[in-house]
Order: sequence, then C-alpha cells, then structure tokens
Amino acid sequence: MIFYLFTILILLLLAPLLLSFIKALKMYLLFKKPVSVFQGYRNFSKLMQKETVISEESSRITRVAPFLVLSPLLVTMFFLPPVVHGAFYVSFVDAFTLTGLISLSTFFLMLLGLDSASAFGGMGSSREAFIAALVEPAMVLTVFSVSMMAGDLGVGQAGVNLAMHFPKAHMASFLFAGISFFILLIAENGRIPVDNPETHLELTMVHEAMILDLTGVYLAIIETAASVKFVIFASLFASLFMPFGLQYAAPAAMLLFVLKLFIIAAAVALIEVNTAKLRLFKVPNLLGIAIVFAFLSLITFYVLGA
Amino acid sequence: MIDFLIGLFLASLIVALFTSRLYRLLFWYSLNSLTLGLLALFIGEELDDKAMLITGIATIVIKAAGIPYLLKYLSQKFHLVRQIQPEIKVQYAIILIPAILVFTFYLSEPITHMIRSGSNDIAVSISSLFLSLLLMMEHKNVAPKIIGFLCMENALFLLGITATDGMPMLVELGIFFDLLMAIVVINLLLHKEEANQ
Amino acid sequence: MMLALLIFPALMMFAVSFFKNKKAKFLLPVTSFVILLPMVKLFMLPKPYALWGSYLVADRLDTYVLLVSSIVGIGVTLALLTLEKHVRVSGNAYRRFYRFFAVFWIGLIVSILANHMGVYWIGLELATLSTVYMIKTNHTSAAHKEAWNYMIVGAIAISLVLFGIILMYASAKPVLGEDAMQFDLLLAHAKEIPSPFLFEMGFAIATVGMFVKMGFFPMNLWLANIERASFYPVAALFSGILESAVIIGFFRFSKIAMEVNYSHLFVFVFVYTLLTIFIVSFLIFRAKDFMRLFSLSGVEHMALIALFWVSGGTFAALLHFGAHAFLKPALFLSTGVLESNGKYRIAGALRGYVGKRGTMFWFLVSLFLLAIISLPPSPMFFSELYGFGAMITVAKESDHMLAMIGAILFLLILLSVIFYRFVAVYQSMKYEGKEEEKHVYTSEIFALLLFALALMALLLPQTFSYLRGIA
Repeated sequence: MIFYLFTILILLLLAPLLLSFIKALKMYLLFKKPVSVFQGYRNFSKLMQKETVISEESSRITRVAPFLVLSPLLVTMFFLPPVVHGAFYVSFVDAFTLTGLISLSTFFLMLLGLDSASAFGGMGSSREAFIAALVEPAMVLTVFSVSMMAGDLGVGQAGVNLAMHFPKAHMASFLFAGISFFILLIAENGRIPVDNPETHLELTMVHEAMILDLTGVYLAIIETAASVKFVIFASLFASLFMPFGLQYAAPAAMLLFVLKLFIIAAAVALIEVNTAKLRLFKVPNLLGIAIVFAFLSLITFYVLGA
Repeated sequence: MIDFLIGLFLASLIVALFTSRLYRLLFWYSLNSLTLGLLALFIGEELDDKAMLITGIATIVIKAAGIPYLLKYLSQKFHLVRQIQPEIKVQYAIILIPAILVFTFYLSEPITHMIRSGSNDIAVSISSLFLSLLLMMEHKNVAPKIIGFLCMENALFLLGITATDGMPMLVELGIFFDLLMAIVVINLLLHKEEANQ
Repeated sequence: MMLALLIFPALMMFAVSFFKNKKAKFLLPVTSFVILLPMVKLFMLPKPYALWGSYLVADRLDTYVLLVSSIVGIGVTLALLTLEKHVRVSGNAYRRFYRFFAVFWIGLIVSILANHMGVYWIGLELATLSTVYMIKTNHTSAAHKEAWNYMIVGAIAISLVLFGIILMYASAKPVLGEDAMQFDLLLAHAKEIPSPFLFEMGFAIATVGMFVKMGFFPMNLWLANIERASFYPVAALFSGILESAVIIGFFRFSKIAMEVNYSHLFVFVFVYTLLTIFIVSFLIFRAKDFMRLFSLSGVEHMALIALFWVSGGTFAALLHFGAHAFLKPALFLSTGVLESNGKYRIAGALRGYVGKRGTMFWFLVSLFLLAIISLPPSPMFFSELYGFGAMITVAKESDHMLAMIGAILFLLILLSVIFYRFVAVYQSMKYEGKEEEKHVYTSEIFALLLFALALMALLLPQTFSYLRGIA
C-alpha cells in the first residue's frame, strides 16, 4: 500500500518536471539556452499566487470545470499498473474505463473552452473534439490488444503479467500495438505533429485555444492536468510496452521506471524537433495509421497468434 | 526476436504506404530490407545455415544500403518528382489495408498448417506481397512503383527464407543478380527519359 | 564445355556491340547467325545431356524449343539488317539493341535448358529485363511508356512465378530436401509430395504469373500495346522466343502438376484458357491494325498450346508451338513492309508489289496469313486436329462429358470467329484499298523464306516422329 501511494506521489511530482524536461531538451537541440527543468514548478507556484480573473460572459462551468478536468486524471493515476514488485494495484480496470476517464477529462476541457465565449475557445474545443474522436477507438483497440496478449483485461494486471512472463510469441502484435500507442501518446498530449503546445498562433493551436481565458489558480490546475495526462500516458507506455525491471528491489525498480519515463520524454522531444506540425486536416492521416496499427495488432494476435 | 523483426518488416511496409515523400519512402524501404537481412541472419544462426548468413549480409549491404542510395542518386540526377501523393485517399487506405491483412491472414491459413516452421511468417510475407502491390497501385509516378517492385522482391525473399528454411544458395544469388540487372535497366530507362525531354 | 560453346556467340555479340566503327554493323548479325551452330550440335547430341551438373540438362523437349528459337533468332536478325530502311533508328540504339539481345540470349538459353526451378526463374527474369530496353529502341513517348509498363507488369508477373516456385519448393522440401527444385526429381517423386494442396497453390500462382506474361485473361491487351509501340522485330522476338521460354516453364510445371492431381490442373487451365480465348476472339474481331491483330492471335495460340498440353496432346502442343513460333515472327516481320504506308491501313496492304521480290513477298505473306488460321497444309491444321482429338479423349473419360464437349464446341465457335476475321482481313488486304508502291528488301525475303522452309521441315515425317518421341 505504501508503495502504491508513493508511486502516485512520485508521478504527480514528476509530471511538471517531465514537460519542462522536454522543453529544455528541445531548446538544447535547437541551440537555444535551455530553460531550467524545474520551470514547471516555478510556473505552478507563481500561478497559484496570482489573482484569478474570470470573464463576465462565462457561466458557472468555468469555475467548476478545471477541477473536473483534473479529477478524472487523478483517479486514473490510481489505476495504473504497479511499478514495484509486490506493490498494491487495482487489477480490474480495463481499457474502456481508462479511455473513458481520460475522455471525461477531455470533455470538461472542451466545455471550458466553449464556456469562455470567445471565438478561440470554441475553435479549440471543436478541434479537440475532432482529434479526441479519432484517438479513442485506437486507444481502446490498442490497450485491449495489449491486455489480450497479457492474458488479462485489467490494465494493472496486464502490466504485471507482461513484466512477469513476457509473451515472446506475440512480439509482432506487441510491436504494432506499441507503434499505435506511441502515436496516441503524441496526439492526445498535443505534442508537435498534432498540436504545438508552445505557440499561440490562432491557426494552429488546439489545447492553448481552449485555455486562453484562464488565469491564476484555474490555469495552474489546467496546466497540472496537462502534465498529469502526459505522465499517465508515459507511465502506461512504460509499463505496458517496456515491461521489464519489475522484479528488481523497490528502489532500483522505481529508479528504472523514472528512467523509462525520461526516455519516453526524450523520444517525444526528438520527434518534436525533427518533424513539422501537420495541418489540422492531415491529422486524421496520422491517427489513421494509429488505428491501422491497433487493428493490425489485434488481428495479428487473433488470426496468426504472433 | 524473429517475431519482432517480422512485425517491423510489416510495419515499415504499412508506413511506406502512407508516405508522400520519395526520400522517406526510400528510408522505409531501406528499413524493410534491413529487417529482412537481420531476419535472415537470425534464422540462419538458428538453423546453422551458412548460405543464409551470406544472403543476410548481402541483403543488408545491397538492399538496405546500396539500392536506396543508388535510387536516391538516380532521383537527384534525373530530377524525379519527389512529392508522391498516393492516389488512394488515406481514409480509404485505412479501411483497405486492414481488409487486405485480414483477407490474406485467413487466405494463408490452410498453407500455414502445411508448413512446419514459422507459420505466421508466411502469412506476413503473403500479406506484404499484396501490400506492395497496393503500393504500386496507389502511385502514378515511376519511382514509387519501382520501390513497390523492390518491396515485392523483399516479400518473396521473406517467404523464401521462412517457408522453406532457405532456398539453394545459387538461386538466392541469382535473384540478387537479377535485382542488380533491374537497377541497370531502370537507370537506362530513366536515362532515355532525360534524353527525350 | 558445351555450355561455353552455347553462350560464347552471345558473349561475342555483347562484346562486339561496344565497337563503335562501321564493321560492328556487319559483325553483329554474323555473331547472331553463329548462335545456330551450337544449338544444332546440342540437338544432335544423345539425350539427356548434362550441361552443368543437374542445373542445366538438355533433353529432347528443350533442345527442340531451343532449335526453334534459334531459327527464329536468325530470321529476326535478317530482318534487322534492313530495319533502318523502314523506321528511323540511330546507330547507337542499334548496337544497344544487339547488346541486350545478347543478354536476352543468355537468359533464354539458361531458362530453356534449366532443370531447376530457380535457375529457370533467373534465366526468365534476365530475358524479361533485357527485352525492356529493346522496346525502348523506338524513340517515341509511347514506346517509353510501354517500356515502363512492361518493366512493371513483367516484374509483377515474374514475381508471381517466383512466389509459386517458392511454394512448390516448400511443398516438396520434406521429401527431396535441397533438390526439391529439380524438375526431373520432382516429376519422379510427385506422388510423394506430403502437401499436394500447397503444391497446387504454388502451381496455380506460378501459372497465373506465366499466363499474365503471355497476355492471358486479365491482361489481354497488355502485350498487344507493347508490341504496337515497339519496333516490329521486337514483337517477333516476343512471340517467337520469349514466349517459348515461358511456355516451356508451363510445360514442365504442368507435367509435375499432372502427377499431383490431374483433374484440378485440367479444370484450372481449361477454364482459364477458355476465358482467354473468349475475350481474345472478340478483341481480334475489333482489331484495326496488324500488330494488335497478330499479337492477339498469338495470345490465342498460346492458350491453345497450353490447352493441348494439359489435355495430354503433347505432340499436338509441340507441333502447334513450333508452327506458331515460325509463323508469328514471319508475320510480325512482314508488318514492317505491310505498314509502310501508315499504321492503320489494312485495306490494300497486299497490293502494289512490283518485281520478283514483291511478288514473292505477297505470295509468302498470304501463305502465312492463311496458315495461321490453320488451313491445310499448315502444320497448325494437323496440330489442331490432334489437339482437339486429345481433348475429346479427355472429355470422354471425364465425369462431365457433355459439359466438356459443349465447352469444346464453344471453343470451336470462338476459333471460327477468329477464322472469319482473318479471312476478312486477308480479302481487305488483297482486294480493297488503293495501290501504293512498297519496297521489299532481299534480307526480308530471305527471312520469310527461312520461316517457310522451317515450317515445311515441321511437316516432315522425321519431325513428327521426333516430336512424338518427346512425350
């Protein structure tokens, strides 16, 4: 139980760090002077102290929604696969629940964007809805397929099973699911080929457009939600698609897990540096590839058993 | 590990189907060949088959490095069109590709029962044969068609490696020779294209 | 030793094609003629004669095919002498044509003599790739397009053949090991193949590949367009030589497939060829120029040869094959003269010949035209007689006799459509249109005479007995 809570705490603490790490790595690779990796914490504390201004046009939803954006993600954190051998974990939560919780958070984020009654908010929400609608089927398929390979529909149990006896015979479908999930990780977190988190250019922004009107505490909450979402996806990727190291002693396993998270963050940063942002109407192509791979992984598993 | 490489083989082919740039396509072809060569090396190691090790190395040297480099050189020399938009729209391709895969996986089921080793390798190679035909179909330009043909060669090679535990050495070298001959002919055809303009 | 002798003229031709002076123009045809000598030598040798271990073995079937091919090669070379007088061709392209002709010969010799599926495939691929450039000798954009077309479709067809070969190899490997690629061993052990379904699957795929290459059912106009776009000697090479390399592969594969499961093989080939002839007969009916007409009729004859072979009429198939291999190149070569006043003028094509050479030319061409629709005494008449006889024998033994006889009657109706069209074309050539003067050159007369003599040689009793001996 102690490991369980400790893991969640660590993940929460790491969340802003990871995003800042990506940012710093990108700046380093572009020969800029990198920001500190602790910039995320600084932003958070600064925003907490700032005054919160709410638009006159907005309704009650704006006051409630930020919490409703964060809370499903926080709940999801409790359902992640364990990091340390012997730790407590929730075994019965399946792909649908996880996807549903994440979509719930996205839903309130979209509501928040609409509620601000500015043109940007509505635009951002519609774009987000467009992307989310394509991400969800692929997400369900992918996690489902991995759970099938692991022999248990519960994601937590699947993570343990994968780490304990890795299904070597299903390496091919495992690989397809991995490719699909990585594309989803990029798409759902609004990283570069899909959305650029660093710009406020009206033509391109998706996530930023929705939270343009927020200030102070609410902005801090939403930013935290974004980083928590990234850490959820990264840790799902780490425990489902890099399933090794669970059997080590607790500190080593924990350290290895954190290292995996950083590797994933570095991979995302590298992709961001190397690719240009896609036009919004090209995004379905990328997500289409994700869907193809998710489906492929499932049929390869079922038909070929590979 | 073999399953992993086979997955990578198919994955690189599927990504190649969605590519709209020539050099990226060459890169995916090169990756495709690289996985094929590694596969040959692994299987050769497993079977202790010297001939297959040689073909694996030859595949990596010729197909993964030589031919993509040569094609890139040729495309620069003859100013081939580098923006190759697939004719089949992505939304249809998303439906078509899984359909092809399901079809070929079920199609190859009776065959896979008859071959002792590596049953799913055969299904993958047959489906990649069909996918490379799709790659040839969905482009109007010449260069992607050539790459589709080379991918088809790769798929056949995969079938040769996995279904039969390696063909006779002579045949495999002969196939390589013909591949080089094909490149020479392609070079000549491109050459004449330039002369005509 | 014998192998070196066989390949030597081709290598010579390859080397000579690099010479840039005037002499090369005369040396190239000479080297091309020389190819016949080792072939005749090989023909005389006792059979089977191992040329290169068990990979290349000369037996009665392949020496016959090779001999026919080399005679066609000489005829084509004769016609090539005056190519530049009919069409515009640069000296460079001419030499390069010979260079690839040499490569083509090597591929062809290897694939025809092969006793090994893999070696057969390698030779076939080499021959296919080398023809791509020959199409390109014609400097038009149509020829360029068709060369790419040939490259791509030919590559797909060839890949299908390789695919089938791999499956067949996989099916026989448990019994024969690494030797499962040898035709003679496969034939001897065909009954022991543990998974006949796999073999039949491989055979079907390889056959579809070969059929596509010969212009069968889905790709009927493919070959016709290519032959239209290229120079006429290339079309002659295609129909006379390249298709013989393909059909000999079909002969060998189907021989094994007969042992595995005869009824499956027969139904597959029968339905496929019937479909092909059904479509081709109507395409012939609509053909408006000589190249397409002859090329489509070539498809029809190839389908008939395949059909005769699988019906057990080995003799009929081989006779038909020989007759077609001589007749079709002769007709293709004569199109160079026939079309000298524009491509699409069938009417009056046989009029306006003056002098001895002219008279001889139109006489020979009319003979060939009437022979290709198997009027007696053409060898095709006898081969079709024997072939249909063999088919009826098969029909009698089969369970669905009436359906089979009906199908054969249907086939005869389709053939009569083609017959009607050719007679109409002949009449139009002879009795319609304006009289325009056309030039005939001595070398073309020689080529046609060579083909006529070879056709007559096919009718000799010795040839008949030789061909009967092959089965």
